[in-house]
Amino acid sequence: MNKRALILAGFGAVIILIYFQLLKSGIIFRPGNEPMFIAVILVSLTILFYTDRAKRGEKIYLRSIAGLQALEEAVGRATEMGKPVLFVPGIMDMDQVETVSGLIILGYVAEMTAQYEAGLNVPVSRSIVMEAARETCKESYLKQGRPDQYFDDMVHYLTDDQFAYAAGVNGIMLREKPAACFYQGKFYAESLILAETGNSIGAIQIAGTGSPSQIPFFVTACDYTLIGEEFFTASAYLSNRPELLGSIKGQDIVKLLVMICMILVFIFTGLHHYGWTNLDILTLFTSR
Amino acid sequence: MMKRQIPLLIVIVVGLITLFGHFFSNQGIQNFVDNDSTQWYDIIASFAIFLGALNLLKLQLMKIYKKQNNWQYSILAVLGFFFALFAGFLYRGAYTVSLSGVAVENHQEVAGIIATGTHNNVALITAGLEGNDDYTIPMVFMTEGGAEALGEDLSSYGATVISPVQWGAHLTVKLGNSGSLFWWIFNYIFTPLSATMFALLAFFVASASYRAFRIRNFEATLLLSAGIILMLGRVPVGQMISPWFVGFIFILAMGAVIAPMVKNKFITVSIVVAGIAILTVWGVLTGWDSTRPAIFYFPVLQEWIFNVPTTAGARAIMIGIGLGIVGTSFRIIIGLERSFLGEK
Repeated sequence: MNKRALILAGFGAVIILIYFQLLKSGIIFRPGNEPMFIAVILVSLTILFYTDRAKRGEKIYLRSIAGLQALEEAVGRATEMGKPVLFVPGIMDMDQVETVSGLIILGYVAEMTAQYEAGLNVPVSRSIVMEAARETCKESYLKQGRPDQYFDDMVHYLTDDQFAYAAGVNGIMLREKPAACFYQGKFYAESLILAETGNSIGAIQIAGTGSPSQIPFFVTACDYTLIGEEFFTASAYLSNRPELLGSIKGQDIVKLLVMICMILVFIFTGLHHYGWTNLDILTLFTSR
Repeated sequence: MMKRQIPLLIVIVVGLITLFGHFFSNQGIQNFVDNDSTQWYDIIASFAIFLGALNLLKLQLMKIYKKQNNWQYSILAVLGFFFALFAGFLYRGAYTVSLSGVAVENHQEVAGIIATGTHNNVALITAGLEGNDDYTIPMVFMTEGGAEALGEDLSSYGATVISPVQWGAHLTVKLGNSGSLFWWIFNYIFTPLSATMFALLAFFVASASYRAFRIRNFEATLLLSAGIILMLGRVPVGQMISPWFVGFIFILAMGAVIAPMVKNKFITVSIVVAGIAILTVWGVLTGWDSTRPAIFYFPVLQEWIFNVPTTAGARAIMIGIGLGIVGTSFRIIIGLERSFLGEK
């Protein structure tokens, strides 16, 4: 077996052992969170292991994601039509992981708009997101060697309010008629308003969100949608950095472990229900 | 160093504390994780609003100054901005009047005066006067003059005290159906505009559904069928549709589906006729029960579709999203993901 895997597994086992020992004494750790702690350690070590393997040269396969492949096509279309690109990074603040993921995608879109000399318009709903987005765009333009094309006002604040923001973005879409609209971040009810308006102006639309209730609306109204974890893998997919690809593989292995656990819980719960075993496996997976 | 390493260090340290702080029994760490960190964030976000507001103002004023396209709308935006600023920070617009020492025999008369002046219900005011010696009139006056006018009318019946609402509280104060100027802006301008935008969703859902439900392929047909079943099952008319009728339609539809696959039309017709016959016999034997067979009864069918396949699919996506969030958060905490700092 892989030497590094053994080392990591041993390290994990030691941490868990120390945790349970200290738990008994009740000094440092509080009881009731044992399953969660083990899960955190397991997930962390799994991701670290595959990240390390990728850094050492293992080739990681990622299936093609249509929405991410279409990013360049969309920016190219906007360039050909001489129209700007609209990027909406969601309506929540930087405390949401989806907003951070959206800004990561913004970085790549900004690189492309810098390269193709297409206009970029990023209306934001939060001031902190505005600053972070400006930083991201500035770096992207600098990286492409086009700092002259960047200006601060390409990322501008509209309003914090959900529907006022939707109204503002709709107004931008109807007046400026961007050729490509990107919706990447956390959205709520305004998602369909934005997507339908974008559809009405004939823009190519690529959406990505971690809000499960908004995914159907984006799937219906947009040309491409990054569903679920596709949205969160964008950084790894677009950068092609080995360590990020490795972490995606680690994430997939964690998903496999979750599926195995679900099957085990299903089987053992059934056996427990019919009295064939005394083990109530759900108690092992419940944090109090 | 300042621009990259220090923010990265802050992210890693705070991220690790928040992640593992959940397991420590130390009260200080618990307080930080549960309360302090979110409060720090709220304070920073509150001050950061100035950045956004100034940016918005600057852009709108530049648009007016340079007379760019549609600059007239920017005048409205700037006026609205300053009006809200005025109502929030400069003009309190919230005064209350309290009345005390009103004789019992004057309650009705006083209630009538107050009801006329505040457009409120006389009976409610009378009840309030009878219950409280020191009665606050259920109205917030936007001007001190308005409060004084009513106070003067009531001065012969008891002692009136006009009090301004505290700064800060004036934003949300409400008595009866009235509030401060800021409250008025929020309830009579902002809320109707938000509701209008929200109402647009109904039309957008209709147009999106029209496009989504076109029969292009098998998946779209399945979506359309499920949509029809769910919509009918959730309205009263769905309960009135007999499941036997739906059953017959289903058999005929199955006949239409298998017809292209079976060369011998006699077999197709026989299958359809047999299906109809079986369903008819079943109906006769069960006395044409209006809620059976349940598989063809829209309310039962829609509930099954919603509770089983839809929930399963939604949970699968949520698990994927959850893992995506875990993975992304972990990469950010260990410093592997630095794109949000502008680094590639």
